[in-house]
Amino acid sequence: MRESSAASRSVGRRQFLTLSAAGLAAAGLPLAPARAQGKRSGELVAGLSERMLTLDPANHYSISSTSVHRHMFDPLVDVTNDSKFVPALAESWRAVNNTTWRFTLRKGVTFHDGTPFNADSVLYTLRRVKDNTKLIKSFVYQDIESVEKDGDFAVVVTSKRPFGSLPAHLTMLGMLPPSAAKNEDAFFQKPIGTGPFRFVSWTHGDHIVLSANPSYWKPAQPRVEKLTFRFIPELSTRSAALRAGEIHVIDRVTPDLVETLKGSRGVKVYDVPAVEAQRWVFQLAKEPVKDQRLRQAISLAIDRNVIIKELLLGYGRPVDSPVPPGLIGHTSLPAKAYDPEKARQILKQAGYKDVSIDFVLMKDFYPKQLEITQAVAAMLGEVGIKVNIKNLEIATAREQRSAGTYDMFYSGWAHMPHDPDWYFGQWFTKAGAEKLTRYDNPRVEKLIAEGRVPDPKVRQAKYEELERILWDEEPEIWLCYTVAIYGTSDRLRNFEPRRDYYVLLSDVAIA
Amino acid sequence: MRAYVLRRLWQSALTLAGVSVLVFVILRVLPGDPAKMLLPDGAPQSAVDELNRQLGLHEPLHVQYALFLRSVFRGDFGQSFQYRAPALQVVTERLAATVQLALAALLITVSVGVSLGIVAAVRRGTRYDYASTILAVLGQSLPNFWLGIMLILLFGVALRWLPTSGFESWRHLILPAVTLAAFPMALVARLTRSSMLEILGRDFIRTGRAKGLAERAVILRHALRNAAVPLLTVLGLQIGTLLGGAVITESVFAWPGMGKLVVDAIFFRDFPVVQTVLILSATIFVVINLLVDLLYTVIDPRIRYS
Repeated sequence: MRESSAASRSVGRRQFLTLSAAGLAAAGLPLAPARAQGKRSGELVAGLSERMLTLDPANHYSISSTSVHRHMFDPLVDVTNDSKFVPALAESWRAVNNTTWRFTLRKGVTFHDGTPFNADSVLYTLRRVKDNTKLIKSFVYQDIESVEKDGDFAVVVTSKRPFGSLPAHLTMLGMLPPSAAKNEDAFFQKPIGTGPFRFVSWTHGDHIVLSANPSYWKPAQPRVEKLTFRFIPELSTRSAALRAGEIHVIDRVTPDLVETLKGSRGVKVYDVPAVEAQRWVFQLAKEPVKDQRLRQAISLAIDRNVIIKELLLGYGRPVDSPVPPGLIGHTSLPAKAYDPEKARQILKQAGYKDVSIDFVLMKDFYPKQLEITQAVAAMLGEVGIKVNIKNLEIATAREQRSAGTYDMFYSGWAHMPHDPDWYFGQWFTKAGAEKLTRYDNPRVEKLIAEGRVPDPKVRQAKYEELERILWDEEPEIWLCYTVAIYGTSDRLRNFEPRRDYYVLLSDVAIA
Repeated sequence: MRAYVLRRLWQSALTLAGVSVLVFVILRVLPGDPAKMLLPDGAPQSAVDELNRQLGLHEPLHVQYALFLRSVFRGDFGQSFQYRAPALQVVTERLAATVQLALAALLITVSVGVSLGIVAAVRRGTRYDYASTILAVLGQSLPNFWLGIMLILLFGVALRWLPTSGFESWRHLILPAVTLAAFPMALVARLTRSSMLEILGRDFIRTGRAKGLAERAVILRHALRNAAVPLLTVLGLQIGTLLGGAVITESVFAWPGMGKLVVDAIFFRDFPVVQTVLILSATIFVVINLLVDLLYTVIDPRIRYS
C-alpha cells in the first residue's frame, strides 16, 4: 500500500514520457527494438555510499565510482559473482607465453556516438593508463611493456615480467574511444563508452543520470530506460530514502540496520560473503611483535567467533585462508583456534611479562572497528597483553604505518580484481611491504613471483604453498571474511548482491 | 566615512593574506601524504612518490607558496587532487548549494525567530511567551543530527510528505533548512524577546502610545527598529556560520554543500580545495562583517564612523 501510494503520488514529466512510451510500445507502434519487445521500461534509482569524484575510469579505485562507470564503459573482461572471468569486449583471450597475452575483440560493438569499437580503442586505453602516471590506476599497469594490435580486432599485450593477473585487472578498466585523446578534459565532462547506459547529466556531489543505450551489444540489456545513482554517504539517510520508496537499492548496509530494513514494508535485504578479509597487520621489524611466538599467542587469545556473533551479529565468515573462498589460490586451512590457556603458556615460555602493544585504527574507516578493537583489547588483557588503542585520523594513521610506529594496524583487504596477486605483491614482498609491515621472507617472495604466470594450475599450487607459510607465520591476524549487505525495493527483479560491493543494474528490471 | 571604508578594506586584505599563509603552512605541516590518500590503501611507495611529484608536492614549501600566490592572482586556485578539476570550480559548484541552504535557513531564522521573539515580548508571561521559550530552548538544545534524522523519519519515511534527502527541488530544501535554522532561530527569538522587553519599557514607547500611535506602529516601527542593532550583530555572525557550511546538516541530508566538501578535503589532504574554501570563506566573513558595520549607520543614524 505504501509502495503504491508513493509511486502514484507524483507522475513527473519524465515518468509521463516513459509511461507514454510504454503505451506506444504496447499499442505495437515501432520504437527502439528492445522497447517494442516490452522488455525495457521504468527507472531505477540506486543510493551509493561514496560520492563519485570523476568520470574517468582510469583515475580512481573507488568502488562506488566503479559501480557507476561499469554502466557506461565496458571492460575487456568481465567477472561473475563467483569470480569467473568471462568475455566482455574481448571475446576470448589466451596467454601466448608467460609475458604475452592476446585478446580477440568483439566485432560489431559501437560507442554511444556510433563509432566502432576496435583495437585502436584498446591501444589508446591501455597505453594511456600505462604512460600517464598521474592516473590513479597507472601503477598497476607499469609492468606492461607494449600494447600492439594484430589486425583490427586483436591486441597483443607484452609485459616486463609475467602478468597473470592482467585479465583480472582489466575487469576494472573501461574501454575508451581513441577520439577522447583530442581533449581528455572535455571528454570526461560528457564521456561516451560502449556500455549499456549513456551519460546524461551529473550534478556533482549529488547524483548522476544515465539513459538506456538502445543499441547495446548484449541482448535484452539494459532492462530499464533510465538509471540514476544518488550519492548518499550517510547510511541512516540512505536507508531512509530506501524505506521512503525514493530509491530502489542501497549498498554498504551495516549488520545493526538489517532488522530495521527487514521490518520495513517493501524492502528486501540481501547478504553475500564478500571478496574481502578483515585483517590486522603487525609491524614485523619492531619489538616485540616481530617475534612469531608473540603473534601466535595474540592469535590464540582472540575469540574470533564471539566477535563475529556478538559484534558483527553473524555477518562475517570464519577465515580458513588468507584469501577468501572463490579466488584463485584459496585453499582451506585449519581454523584459527581460540585457546587463551595455550597463549598464556607460549608467553610464559618465551619469557614475556607486561607486554604492551599499540593498536592503530584509521578513524571511522571500517564499521564497528572501535568496538571490535575494544573487545580484542579485553581478550588480550586476559592473557596479560596490554593494548593501547590509537584511533587516529586516516592520513595520520597511514603516516604512522609508513613510519613503522605501530605494533598492530587495523586493516582490511578487498580483492577488487578477484585475484590475490595484488594483495600478495603488496603485503608479502620486500619492496611492497617496505613502508607497510616490513615483511621479508625470500621463500614467500619467490613463490609470489612464480605465481605471477598465467597458468592457473601453477598459480594455484604456488599460492597454496605460500598461504600455508603465512598461516603459520601469522604476519597478520585474519579476523573474518566480510559479508556484503544490500537493501533493495521488493519491486526489483533479478538483483544480484555482488561479492565485490559493486551495484550492477544492467540486467535488473523493476516491477 | 570614506576613509573608514578604505581603512577597513586595507585591513581586510591583510587578514586574507594572513589566512592564506596560515592555511598553506598548516596543511603542509600536518602529518599525512596526499598521494597516499588518493591511491588505494597499500599502493607501492614508488607510486606514492611519483604521484606526489606529479602534484608538485616535491618542491620546497616557499616555492610551492610562491607558485600558489602567482596562480591565485591569475584567478587559478590550482587543480583539486581528488576531483582532478580546477579547485575553484569544485568549490563554487558546492557554494551554490551552500548559499541556497543558508539563505533558506536565514529566511526561517529571521521570519520565525523575530516573530516568536516579538510575540513573546509583547505577550510577556502568557502562554504565547512560554510556548515561544519552549521552542527556543528546544531549538538550542536538540542536536542537529538527531533533529535532522527525526524530521526525515517523520516527514520522509512515515508521512512521505517531503523527500528524505538530495539536492533537486525546493521541496528537497525544506527539511535541511528547518534543521539548520533551528539553532539560530532559537537564538534570534530569545535575543529579540530580551531586546524588545528592554525597549518596550523605555519612555519613548510610552510617549508613542500616549500620542495615540497604533500599537502595531509602536512595536514594529519604534521598538523593533531600536531592538535591531544587537540582532544585526548576531545575524551577521550567523550568516557567516551558515555560509561556512553546515557539515552535520549536509551529511544528514546528503546535501552537496561546502561544509562536507571541506571536511572531506581535509581528511584526504586535498590542499587546493581546502585552501580555496578557507580563503573564500574568510573573504565572505570579512565582507559580511564590513557590511554589518556599515548597516549599523542605516539602522541607527546616531552611529557614525570616521
